[in-house]
Amino acid sequence: MLVLSRKTNESIIIDGEIEIKVIKVDGGVTKLGIIAPPQIPIYRQEIYREIQNNNQKAIIKGKPNKGSLPKIPRLDMETKENQI
Amino acid sequence: MTTHQLTEERPTDEHVMEHVQIEMPFGLLGFETIKDYYLISDPEEKPFMWLQMKGEETEAQSFLVVSPFVIHQGYSPEFSDEEMDSIGIESPDDVLLFNIVTIHSKDLASVNLKGPIVINKRLLKGKQVVPINALDYRVDHPLPTDSNIF
Repeated sequence: MLVLSRKTNESIIIDGEIEIKVIKVDGGVTKLGIIAPPQIPIYRQEIYREIQNNNQKAIIKGKPNKGSLPKIPRLDMETKENQI
Repeated sequence: MTTHQLTEERPTDEHVMEHVQIEMPFGLLGFETIKDYYLISDPEEKPFMWLQMKGEETEAQSFLVVSPFVIHQGYSPEFSDEEMDSIGIESPDDVLLFNIVTIHSKDLASVNLKGPIVINKRLLKGKQVVPINALDYRVDHPLPTDSNIF
């Protein structure tokens, strides 16, 4: 891991187009400002990992066939806004 | 495979699996390289649908997805304008919202309300988005049982 020291209002540049700036350091909390192109997704690490792990657990192998739904309660409520 | 336009109307007595091609330019979290999916629906399986990875692999992989509003009627994830712009969403009418279901056992399943999938039904583009108020929701929200859904 590359380790750099930065003061408030100093920043680092990654790959010429991502800038991460230290906005404020207060106690144990560091506030960061990030400038990046819109196609670069940015997440808080713990939320990213939680959703990534959940996605991996949710994967179902094989093509879905009619009737392959697990035995979970039928939810027959109409949801007009979500019909296709 | 042709791309279908999403419409509000559909015959309810037809038991046809409908395939709609969806592009996920950013993939799903942990699956960033897989960008092409089919959204597969069967009227008999409502409100569930399948999000199947479109690929050359011998074995297809899918996610079971569900409309969140039948699980959690007060569900109201907040999305930033930047997130919505990234898949070309111009108005709330463009949005279709689904959440991934995880099957734990035959009788136990949960829904990821923390990382919903937003689909632009006009452009057929989608993205798994972490809402601004993600901390209000769980990745493993229990799927309600018959006794407490209504």
